[in-house]
Amino acid sequence: MKLFKSSLVALALAGATAANAASLAITNAKVHTATSAGVLENATVVIDNGVITAINPESVTADQSIDAQGKVLTPGFIASMNQLGLVEVSAVASSRDASDKKADITFDASLAFNPKSTAIPLTRKGGITRSVVAPRGGDDMFKGQTFVANMSGDFDSVLAANGAVVVELGAESKGSRAMALQKLSNKLEDAEKALAKAKKDDKDDKKDVKRDAQVINALLAGEKPLIAHVDRATDILAVLAMKERFGLNLVLAGAADSVLVMEEIAKANVPVVMSAMRNLPGSFDSLHTNLANAGKLSKAGIKVIITVDGDTHNTHLLRFTVGNAVANGMDYDAALASVTANVADVFGLDSGKIEVGKAADIVLWSADPFELSTKAEQLWISGEAQVLESRQDKLRDRYTTDSDMPRAYIK
Amino acid sequence: MHKIVPSLVMAAVSVALTGCMQSEQQDAKVTINKNPYPSTYQVLPSQKTLIQNATVLVGNGERIENADVLFMDGKIVQVAQGLPTDGATVVDGSDKWVTPGVIDVHSHLGVYPSPSVESHADGNEMTSPNTSEVWAEHSVWPQDPGFQNARAGGVTTLQLLPGSANLFGGRGVTLKNVPSHTMQGMKFPEAPYGLKMACGENPKRVYGSRKEAPGTRMGNMAGYRMAWAEATEYKRAWEKYEADYAAGKKPQAPTRDIELDTLKGVLDGDILIHNHCYKAEEMAMMIDLGKEFNYHSGTFHHAIEGYKIADMLAENGNCAAMWPDWWGFKMEAYDMVEENVAIVDAVKNSCAVVHSDSGTTIQRLNQEAGKIMYRANDNGFDLKEEDAIVWITSNAAKSLGIDDKTGSLVKGKAADVVLWNTNPFSVYAQADQVFVDGAKVYDRYDEKYQAQSDFMLGQE
Repeated sequence: MKLFKSSLVALALAGATAANAASLAITNAKVHTATSAGVLENATVVIDNGVITAINPESVTADQSIDAQGKVLTPGFIASMNQLGLVEVSAVASSRDASDKKADITFDASLAFNPKSTAIPLTRKGGITRSVVAPRGGDDMFKGQTFVANMSGDFDSVLAANGAVVVELGAESKGSRAMALQKLSNKLEDAEKALAKAKKDDKDDKKDVKRDAQVINALLAGEKPLIAHVDRATDILAVLAMKERFGLNLVLAGAADSVLVMEEIAKANVPVVMSAMRNLPGSFDSLHTNLANAGKLSKAGIKVIITVDGDTHNTHLLRFTVGNAVANGMDYDAALASVTANVADVFGLDSGKIEVGKAADIVLWSADPFELSTKAEQLWISGEAQVLESRQDKLRDRYTTDSDMPRAYIK
Repeated sequence: MHKIVPSLVMAAVSVALTGCMQSEQQDAKVTINKNPYPSTYQVLPSQKTLIQNATVLVGNGERIENADVLFMDGKIVQVAQGLPTDGATVVDGSDKWVTPGVIDVHSHLGVYPSPSVESHADGNEMTSPNTSEVWAEHSVWPQDPGFQNARAGGVTTLQLLPGSANLFGGRGVTLKNVPSHTMQGMKFPEAPYGLKMACGENPKRVYGSRKEAPGTRMGNMAGYRMAWAEATEYKRAWEKYEADYAAGKKPQAPTRDIELDTLKGVLDGDILIHNHCYKAEEMAMMIDLGKEFNYHSGTFHHAIEGYKIADMLAENGNCAAMWPDWWGFKMEAYDMVEENVAIVDAVKNSCAVVHSDSGTTIQRLNQEAGKIMYRANDNGFDLKEEDAIVWITSNAAKSLGIDDKTGSLVKGKAADVVLWNTNPFSVYAQADQVFVDGAKVYDRYDEKYQAQSDFMLGQE
């Protein structure tokens, strides 16, 4: 057993060395930096040891070099609010780990993350290098906490756990939406009082603070973002008021009718995580969803993060939903930021920008990444070149290869 | 109340007496009205229209550059270069593309409308595994705002289907995507009815979980076979009645059965099968099932594994309606490949269709087809725009049995036309103008042609 363990360690080390040993220069690329530097034509990006070490250096020194031939290089896209790695087949209960009836504010679904899920290589093919994965929780209004994972498929994919707290508010099929708003407000107020009392009593012993209270305290300290799922404008205003009152680091998610209160959201400097494709009035909370909303919010000065609505398996389509936001009026650079820099800024990630010092999560595209005809040609995660083939590709090849034997023999 | 009862008795007595007195003659022949809820669709105001200088995808595999499209009195007159203006309203098509109106063979708009509140959940009569007696048209809420969104995406015709909980879900109905406050006002005249069937997980889960049949896939098959056997007897009974009557005999008409009327309609070739069926082995059995009971197995919807049996589908004349890339939500949707439609399409005499089953993606069936074309071309195919458009126009029309009426810009067919701002297979493509039977029903830049449902009117 001891031998086995040490050989595993050796393997892991060997992998890490192989991944990071060679430095790489990508030359002659059209680099969308997703920073204030904007778009750099004929640019060179050097990566070494998993990070971006130089952009347009005077002289290039790297072990390997790739001529991008003028193609587009972007930061790897960052998906968010999905259940990647937590679900294999949505309708197969035993393959689902994103929810639990008893889950509460402390729920950490990262413990269940499966980097070998077949959704991950497909997601990677969509130019996605990381995901902010969100738990679905249970009966409690707090659904648990997000975690960040990369899309390498490696066993060390989880980069950070216990991130933002997810809370679900708004329309209820039983009861009143007022109840959850009241409960949230009361919880924050009670915690604030308890903290004040502890301070007054000069109690510095954090040991007896319960786990869920620790999370609430982190919210009050602004250390953790609170992602509030809300659609109706009144609910948005209600959580904006709580942000003001308790000093929360608030993020709105869904936010179907946010166009009605854009100015208030912008003024409060609150980011919005939304689907760009939502434009049907699915409920009385979402009568103002529209394909133009992502662009409108962005123009109003709101930091927009675009997500894929619905089933996690569709996450690979993220770039096309961003393209549709552009088609419906969103500024191109703002749209790119909505799946790169904005996600990094809101969730405190070291990727999402082509900038010296950032993680080398980058994608080389055949052309405009949002266009249907484009594909990701090469993709690196922490500087490591990734395989862009999924189980779907293997199935396709099996059934399009001629053979006089049954298909089962084609592998 | 007291008054009514005796008069009813009188009526019954007089009928009986009439019957006795005329016993030498045949009774009036009993016939079944096959169209009791007829279309009242009226073409919207239209004028002779000439779209000039566009890239035209005809919908039959042809593409004509710098072409003009002329339509009048609801029909396509001609597609060619340099047509005379000749009193037509001229639309500049420079740098734009023209295609036939988009057709979705699988929609639940109107039957599962927005807002999706309990009061509107009318799309699936989940009370028995065989509900051939229900008709989707009786559930349609024409004020579903989704119809307008689909129209803005170029959709001119759509089939509304019941859901897939049952082995036989009931009849589907084909509508023109025009605003109306009645279902009949949208109903596509002379389009055949569809019968929704469903394979696999859904029926066995819904009924199996209630400890009712079917609880397994073999239970599904048994359910279909028993129903078709009964329908065969029903058809025979009616045919015997009709033959005896024609021979001057005095037969008694079979007892009318609304459920069996629909199945008989399939056996008679009047109603087309639309079968929710994901998996290769199940589609193969459904094809044999059709042969066993002498009906055509029709179109397979959500045919995720169509690519595994592309040859079989073409040989048997089955259309397959597919998504480009949805997968993973159920076991039967696990084996998705992004090139599925292209692989099915590549066989001679195939009928590959791209469908939505979604109020969201119905708005972008052009993009759905585009994704398939490009992914296939990334992997050895050589598909062009004029090929891909067929999946959402003429092949869809074929699946619905209306390809003699719409689905391509061929002379004499309905002028169901979309003018796109650019190549429709671009993520940036949008429908600028949409015409149904030659009448403009949507214009992206003219509010006059942007309909709004009653539901959305006055919402703040």
